[in-house]
Amino acid sequence: MSKLPKNMPRARSPIARRVIDDDINQLAVLNETSPEFPPGASSPPDGLERRDFVKLLAASMALAGLSGCVRAPDQEIHPLITGAPNSIPGVPLHYATAMTIDGLTTGVIVESHDGRPTKIEGNPEHPASLGGAGIFEQASILELYDPRRAQSPFKGSAPTSAKELLSMFTPPALANRVGARGAALGLVLEPTASPLTASLLARVRTRFPDMHVFFHSPLNSRSVGTASQRAFGKVLIPQHDFRQANVVVALGADPFASAPFHLRYARDFSTRRRTSPAPSLHVAEVCPSPTSTLADTRIAVAPEALKRVTAALFARVARDTDHPVLPPDQTIVLNDREERWVANAAADLIRERSHGIVIAGPLESEEVQLLTLALNDLLQNVGTCVWYTESPIMDAGLSSHDVRSLSDSMDSLDTLIVLQGNVCYTAPPSAQIERKYAAIRQTLYLGSFHNETARLSKWHLPGTHYLEEWGLERAYDGSMSIVQPLIAPLYDGRTIAETLALISGARNASAYSLTHEQWNASPHATTNAWDATVRRGVAADSALPRVIPVFDWRAASDAFEVMARPVTSPVSVAASNAIELVIGASRTLLDGRFADNPWLQELPDPVTKLTWDNAALFSPATAKALNIVTGQLVRLETSTSNVELPALVVPGHADGATSLTLGYGRRGAEHVADGVGVDVNVVRTMDAPYRTVAQVRALDQHHALAITQTHFNIEHRAADILGASMSPRDSIVASPDANPTDSAARNSGANSNVLPATPTRRTRKPLTLYEPPAVKTSGFGADQWAMTIDLDQCTGCSACVVACQSENNIPTVGRDDVLKGREMHWMRIDRYVSEDDAATHIDVQPMLCQHCEKAPCEYVCPVNATMHSDDGLNEMVYNRCVGTRFCSNNCPYKVRRFNWFEYNGDVSAPERMQKNPEVTVRARGVMEKCTFCVQRVRRAQMDAELAGEPVTGPVLTACQQTCPTQAIVFGSLTAPNSEVAALTNHPRAFSALEELGTVPRVRYLARTPRDPT
Amino acid sequence: MVWVRTPTARGENRMIRQPVAFDHRVHAAGLKISCEFCHSGADRSAHAGIPTTQECVGCHNDTWLASAAFTPVRASLASGVPIAWKRVTQLPDFVYFNHAMHVNKRVSCTECHGDVAAMPVVSQQRPLTMGWCVSCHVEAPQKYAARALTNCTTCHR
Repeated sequence: MSKLPKNMPRARSPIARRVIDDDINQLAVLNETSPEFPPGASSPPDGLERRDFVKLLAASMALAGLSGCVRAPDQEIHPLITGAPNSIPGVPLHYATAMTIDGLTTGVIVESHDGRPTKIEGNPEHPASLGGAGIFEQASILELYDPRRAQSPFKGSAPTSAKELLSMFTPPALANRVGARGAALGLVLEPTASPLTASLLARVRTRFPDMHVFFHSPLNSRSVGTASQRAFGKVLIPQHDFRQANVVVALGADPFASAPFHLRYARDFSTRRRTSPAPSLHVAEVCPSPTSTLADTRIAVAPEALKRVTAALFARVARDTDHPVLPPDQTIVLNDREERWVANAAADLIRERSHGIVIAGPLESEEVQLLTLALNDLLQNVGTCVWYTESPIMDAGLSSHDVRSLSDSMDSLDTLIVLQGNVCYTAPPSAQIERKYAAIRQTLYLGSFHNETARLSKWHLPGTHYLEEWGLERAYDGSMSIVQPLIAPLYDGRTIAETLALISGARNASAYSLTHEQWNASPHATTNAWDATVRRGVAADSALPRVIPVFDWRAASDAFEVMARPVTSPVSVAASNAIELVIGASRTLLDGRFADNPWLQELPDPVTKLTWDNAALFSPATAKALNIVTGQLVRLETSTSNVELPALVVPGHADGATSLTLGYGRRGAEHVADGVGVDVNVVRTMDAPYRTVAQVRALDQHHALAITQTHFNIEHRAADILGASMSPRDSIVASPDANPTDSAARNSGANSNVLPATPTRRTRKPLTLYEPPAVKTSGFGADQWAMTIDLDQCTGCSACVVACQSENNIPTVGRDDVLKGREMHWMRIDRYVSEDDAATHIDVQPMLCQHCEKAPCEYVCPVNATMHSDDGLNEMVYNRCVGTRFCSNNCPYKVRRFNWFEYNGDVSAPERMQKNPEVTVRARGVMEKCTFCVQRVRRAQMDAELAGEPVTGPVLTACQQTCPTQAIVFGSLTAPNSEVAALTNHPRAFSALEELGTVPRVRYLARTPRDPT
Repeated sequence: MVWVRTPTARGENRMIRQPVAFDHRVHAAGLKISCEFCHSGADRSAHAGIPTTQECVGCHNDTWLASAAFTPVRASLASGVPIAWKRVTQLPDFVYFNHAMHVNKRVSCTECHGDVAAMPVVSQQRPLTMGWCVSCHVEAPQKYAARALTNCTTCHR
């Protein structure tokens, strides 16, 4: 124990969700009655002696007594000069627009309160969203109001006038420097699918025909393009319809949480999963992902092993389907688990031939991509669940997307213009972008932040946020959206289109007129009216046409031969200390572009539950072999470089490999991200940007990682928390009274909304002398609000957590306070780990206020600050709360959050504009928790009342509305045809800790057992 | 403890000087303009709203606009800076009052604001304490044929 870092949250219970972590972290199991809060959770602020503290306390009491008698300061009312059409002050409006990441958009609906955008939802009409929104969409609203955005043009490190800057980049000024044909002019963009950007680039090219255009994104893997080039002779991208799929095999892929179309894929898969027989999902991956929480079979494999597994899968399928192009008869060395996984996946794929999907992660090797294409073709999945389209991305697959060509050309450039992105931070060091960029005579960066690229630029022009700009963008399937602004640029920013127009000579072209012009020129303008398209957020029928290409089998056999080389022996990690390095995007910060967003920094990673840091992830076995514990620093030495960062042991991670995430260790003028994590770009190279091999060495230093996994621990009754149907496969949470018929529910053909004739619901109701609570059927209280969460659909992607934060003005607390267990999220996603002989499984459970009908918190509040409403809500009245925290101590679910400090006190003026005006911003010393989005409930009730009818439409809570898989259902139990009422009595429904007799209004639908066959 | 329970501490009857010498007596009593003509959000929004500068000028284009009393209005119109009216009826930030619900349930404006039509300078006429709000909410079924909403989250969220 003495070796452990001081701030290490102590874990406590010998069973339940902590067990695996306890083992692997080699923490002694502490006594059963240790506190539920981590140490330090209630300690006073640092740096204050007890005596000073008491003095201050006395002084503040005296002042509080005085200030209580003073009226609130007088306020002013500032009406508009001219009223806006269709706008009534106080009534929010909603607009469709689209958010673009690496060139591909997701449609969103933005709520605007009196001209201030405050909340982002998915756009149900948009094919990439279908109504769901992910963590990046949800959190992007905060970036708009970031007070640290670039606010004026800069020359070097000094502010300058826009006029001076722009005069340097007019066509004549450029021509003087870069030659008449522009041979010394370079442009760097993020990958783009925008027809507007494409046409403006063409316009610039007519002026400077020899200019160089590059596209850079650190996640822009070329393997999909090159594989398709070999297989089909041209660059095509796979499209998938998960509604048609009876079996899905994911090879290093996380289609339900991180692909460009992940919201749609998750929605489609969950729709399919609600029907019977449910589709099977087989996942092979390095590190557990949201997708694999739903998997039936899962293996953790390092990248080299994934190639072998993919080859074996292909060989097995080809052999069993008697395909004419049989792979060479070579044995592929697989271990037992891999062998079993391949057998299961192959059997399923063959049985459901033409109704399966094989999908590979974009960062996987070309061989894996190629065999994925081959498998889909061989299984005749192409044409039903899988088809191909041209890539909407401009110049996809060309060398202009390779950082090498940028690096090679930079020496000969006089002027380089970087339009968004952050190439100086995200490029691998071997490209030497930073050195070469600093040496270029004139560099212009268009971007919103004073980041690494801005710092090295000779000129910096503030960019716009997508909520401030007009534009045309395309989704992964090619669907076209018109991006419309919600607010005028806050900081005099310019769009990419305006900047390109400037270079082409159109100095005063506005983004609006450019967009309008380009739209009118597009083929979709004939069938879609501008107004209707802006309102709807997407142009109808604008997806790219399907291509069903002919597969070149020689290419597949080439790839197979490469991969089928027999592996001499599995790498013995302990002996050689050699480990495979897997580098990918952070699930919360992506490549670092969201690093200055405190919501995303504080969002626990869906799997590791790590906040405010990155770490090298190891499997328990590898960590044990290397003698590493969580928090210990490790040095990873590749052939070119090395990096030191803390280790984090993750159950379910592949042995012999370690995962690193990009986006940390920022070197620019970041504020929130300053000093957070370690930059792992240093171990990337241009040849091996995502996969390499390293020597690992454990160091004798520790770093406290802010992991929320051990916070808000529920007493160890995992079977009661997660539901009995977990138990058939789960030795850890096994419960003797498990209901064996639960598995039947999934296979019975019953739609989950329909009650079966003979309910098989678990009946372990507590004994009670109380009458059941009376439920009114008319008048106020006729609605009885309740929620169900389907654990069979939840991937743990955490979009709901950010949606809740955005809707309910939840503050962030920072790394130090997270270490003390003070994070404020009203909703948390608990991770449970279990093992059977096939694999390590991750289960997730969203945990929020259960709105108990017999709420333990309500009895103990001395000031009636938490009450129960007639319509079944557990109410929290902030202005009554005096902060005794009795309620939190008495809550068995540990869902109440206390404002230890004035977390909203230092919120800057622009950030204040994001706050939802319908929700109180809580002060220090106040308890808070999930309210079931009572502001939305009351709004719906008032709207219904004004219209003179009962609440008819659905009342959506923020978490429910954003959920990509629709796992969360909210509504009134007494409403006619109530979905939530049906689900509450579903055979899989249970209440967490039912035997306590709290009668929660949140009911969970137990996860169906994994079905490996 | 006693002080906070006095009308003065609650801000009642405090004359508040507005940037424009607007007289409700002329408009509401004299010209019989209805409250909602200017406070147009009252039946549709949580906020009753203050008319925009343009709305003032809309009626006053021909009358009084050139007078000295209109200096702030003309200045606002020219500069685009709103007129900074002083709030008279001020509820705490943690109270979510909705005008539309009350107006549509036929709660008269004077019930909470007093007889504004008789006031040269508007002042707060009612205690605006929670006890005062709830006393009416309890009687809502008898007085307004409305539901008696007394749950905390009716007003606090």
